[in-house]
Amino acid sequence: MAKIGVFICHCGENIASKVDCTKLAAAIGEHPGVEVSVEYKYFCSDPGQESVKKAIRDNNLTGIVIAACSPRMHEATFRKACAEAGLNPYLCEIANIREQCSWVHTDKDMATEKAMDITRSMIEKVKRNNKLQPIEVPVTRRALVIGGGIAGIQAALDIANAGQEVVLVEREPSLGGHMAQLSETFPTLDCSQCIMTPRMVEAAQHPKIRLLTYAEVEHVDGYIGNFKVRIRMKSRYVDIDTCTGCGDCMTKCPVKKIPNEFDCGLGKRTAIYTPFAQSVPNIPVIDKTSCIYFKNGKCKTCMKSCQINAINFDIKDEFIELEVGAIVVATGFQVQNTAGYGEYGYGKYPDVITGLQFERLASASGPTAGKILRSSDGKVPETVVFIQCAGSRDPSKGVRYCSKICCMYTAKHAMLYSHKVHGGKTHIFYMDIRAAGKGYDEFTRRAIEEDEASYLRGRVSKVWEENGKLMVRGVDTLLGKPVVIEADMVVLATAMVPQPNAKEFAKIIGIAYDEYGYYNEAHLKLRPVESSTAGVFLAGACQSPKDIPDSVAQASASASKVLALFSKEKLEREPVVAATNEITCAGCWGCVLACPYNAIEKKDIFDRSGRLVKRVASVNPGLCQGCGTCVTFCRSNSIDLAGFTEKQIFAEVMGL
Amino acid sequence: MITQEKYRTRVKELLASNSVKMVIGYKQGSTADRRRPLFVRSFEEADELVLDSNCIGNLAGYLVTEGLLSDEKRVGIFLRPEGIRSINILAAESQLNPEQIIIFGFDTSGREVKALQGEQAEDFSGLIDSLKEKPPEKSSDALLYRIDQMNTEERFAFWKDEFSRCIKCYACRQACPMCYCRRCIVDSNQPQWINTSSHTLGNFEWNIVRAFHLAGRCVGCGNCDRACPVNIPLRFINARMAQEVFESFDHYAGTSQTQEPVLASFNKDDSETFIL
Ligand SMILES: Cc1cc2nc3c(=O)[nH]c(=O)nc-3n(C[C@H](O)[C@H](O)[C@H](O)COP(=O)(O)OP(=O)(O)OC[C@H]3O[C@@H](n4cnc5c(N)ncnc54)[C@H](O)[C@@H]3O)c2cc1C
Ligand code: SF4
Ligand code: SF4
Ligand code: SF4
Ligand code: SF4
Repeated sequence: MAKIGVFICHCGENIASKVDCTKLAAAIGEHPGVEVSVEYKYFCSDPGQESVKKAIRDNNLTGIVIAACSPRMHEATFRKACAEAGLNPYLCEIANIREQCSWVHTDKDMATEKAMDITRSMIEKVKRNNKLQPIEVPVTRRALVIGGGIAGIQAALDIANAGQEVVLVEREPSLGGHMAQLSETFPTLDCSQCIMTPRMVEAAQHPKIRLLTYAEVEHVDGYIGNFKVRIRMKSRYVDIDTCTGCGDCMTKCPVKKIPNEFDCGLGKRTAIYTPFAQSVPNIPVIDKTSCIYFKNGKCKTCMKSCQINAINFDIKDEFIELEVGAIVVATGFQVQNTAGYGEYGYGKYPDVITGLQFERLASASGPTAGKILRSSDGKVPETVVFIQCAGSRDPSKGVRYCSKICCMYTAKHAMLYSHKVHGGKTHIFYMDIRAAGKGYDEFTRRAIEEDEASYLRGRVSKVWEENGKLMVRGVDTLLGKPVVIEADMVVLATAMVPQPNAKEFAKIIGIAYDEYGYYNEAHLKLRPVESSTAGVFLAGACQSPKDIPDSVAQASASASKVLALFSKEKLEREPVVAATNEITCAGCWGCVLACPYNAIEKKDIFDRSGRLVKRVASVNPGLCQGCGTCVTFCRSNSIDLAGFTEKQIFAEVMGL
Repeated sequence: MITQEKYRTRVKELLASNSVKMVIGYKQGSTADRRRPLFVRSFEEADELVLDSNCIGNLAGYLVTEGLLSDEKRVGIFLRPEGIRSINILAAESQLNPEQIIIFGFDTSGREVKALQGEQAEDFSGLIDSLKEKPPEKSSDALLYRIDQMNTEERFAFWKDEFSRCIKCYACRQACPMCYCRRCIVDSNQPQWINTSSHTLGNFEWNIVRAFHLAGRCVGCGNCDRACPVNIPLRFINARMAQEVFESFDHYAGTSQTQEPVLASFNKDDSETFIL
């Protein structure tokens, strides 16, 4: 006999203001099989949970329904309470009368009616629930960190320093990401390279970190604790083990005029190159598209110049197969392509540049050795106009969000410029100054008060050239007047956007992303570093625009999640997995194809004399994620999902 | 007549050389223009084979009879192009090994019976591709044309009326080569998703489930339609589903033995973001 306890939560006023909980409790008390039906202000609170536990024990309940908020909020809470009271946690169901009822209705009578229906349907389901036991799976204690920017490096170091193995994969020839490109960093103006390079070296030399640069993750299979990954080691054409990084090859290479990506096209590099002088590892790669040898089979100057024969044009891409238990995705961002901004003249006028290009100009290791010079004529600009939100918060350019860092780096740029060019004038067009963060508002105030940056609240409509000057027409909305400024240089604070291949890459790893391609966290507030896929964590700007402190904080948070996972030898997984009925399965293998996690295998069934009787589908419970795709596909109804069996769902539907 | 003689001879040859253990064909039925299936194991039976424009039933369903192919011996079968497509589907869904099937392909254009070139399912891929290129004209069937012209309400009313006659005999299912499941979903009663009684809801549930289960799989052979004792024009429901999957996914049922079932396969490049 079912003895069901029903606990109706007011959620303060959240539910009680729209659902008559007293009436609900009375009506549910009449429902067949219901032993206890009570209401309370906050069942999730400590006394609330205690009262549930007591009711379970006192009445020997066979199942409970919590009529409250979404199961995403507190299913785990109440299941735990059940277990503590000696009831199998899977005999607890949540009837969502908040998100799906009180929050979306205005009429109290009708909302109460609906809450009754929702609760009854869950009572009917829980009556048919089975006791389930968690599944144990082994954990491979090795983490894969993808992306060697500051976020990836931080995560790798934290995990490695706790004694666990890490494989750090960076697709570029060197570690560093965007932070290596920056000059000085807000809000303290410490030199970016000076704080970054030691980290890069530490990661490369750490005994627990296996560093794979110029490498790309091509395939990921498996599940939390047990991922299998395939990594392509792109050929550098230079043997990593023998090369000493002397750089002779680079000085000899006859192709010298290739725009340097690291300097955002402001400097030049050779066909065999390292992205920057402090590259880690300091081993060059040959850029196949510019190398003369790869074009017409002649040259090999670099090979001849190498004293120790480290260069070999026959080295092929290699593949590494790895087993890892957790993955941290730290693939970062890119700055938006400004070609779409014809009105600002980017691409047309060489002295209209992006913020990242300005970083390279201001950087001591940059193409101008830290001097702010115009690319057009090499002169020092006397007036610089900065345009904030060049792309961000502009739905017409496809970016509705705030890039979060541009207000700050623009203030930084104005400061750096005034420190470097005495008497220079800066104008900053802005929409709002968003300087929330430790020391951030003080920082922008300093730009205004000490470094005399002139802030103009308004948008720029056009930039054009006249008599060797860049004319910037905008509006000063505080004065309500249009303004035209004669400038020598214009710097666009371009939006931060996801990596160009962010969506495709997400599909390789199997994580969800938003409309832009930023990776989705499992819960924006409560699980901000977990991805939607168990065992895959997020760090840095691949999740949303972030500055360095936020990227580092998130990286450390991810590392701690990984370490928590590795703290156990075995992992407990939700027993919500599918199983096939081998008697009725028709062996069509539709489910094998339909399963997004490749969890279904073909199984041969033999009779006693060893003759093949039939072939059926069989679910590997270790791989199954319980998504239910196969269940909906199977025509002969031969698959059922534990915790959501057909009988349970049917009862739930009929209970409505 | 010429084709019939040619095929009779060929059947005897294959039986004599032990290349097939049986050939499934047609023989004279209960009335002059009816044909019934014939299972040929001997020369005498081969002489009973009939092949003419009345041979319209799709015999492919007999191949998935339990145990028939498990000895890995070959079986011959007379098939029209739709029948050959159903062999491809059965092969793609792992119900048979196409190498075990020797096909006597034929087509009836007008009153003439024409032999089709080839003996194994894959020999006919050119023919099937050409069929995909030119789907039958809608206006060619007066009733189908009429259904197509109806608005949603009229169409619903039309099918409600048609389905009201269904007696849940499941003859349509038994006749369809694609309905090979050992236990059909309608026979599953824990829980009983589909009502067994022949009321409006039950009949709708059954016929819609049938339509869905055949979406992207029906080859339009018409077996179901002919089997239905109350003459519900079932082929039109399936034709409509075939048209939907063709337009949405460029899927034409039974083009090859490796064709992925349209409702079970997905593409990681799909524009929908819920596909990871
Ligand atoms: C102009 C400008 C100025 C800035 N100034 C400041 C400042 O002063 N202070 C501050 O706090 N922040 C500043 N920032 C922000 C700072 O750059 C970012 O917060 C930081 O770089 C984010 O680090 P990350 O590791 O998440 O991403 P990234 O730095 O983008 O690193 C990502 C790394 O992952 C690699 N990668 C990408 N995809 C793959 C793949 N599929 N496989 C392997 N590797 C991959 C990339 O090559 C890269 O090395 C500035 C940003 C800009 C644009
Ligand atoms: S879909 Fe159903 S019938 Fe087909 S193989 Fe899978 S379990 Fe068996
Ligand atoms: S529920 Fe089915 S489709 Fe989903 S992961 Fe499990 S086996 Fe695969
Ligand atoms: S549904 Fe009807 S027309 Fe389609 S394949 Fe089956 S029997 Fe033939
Ligand atoms: S054959 Fe006709 S009457 Fe029989 S179940 Fe099918 S549709 Fe209904």
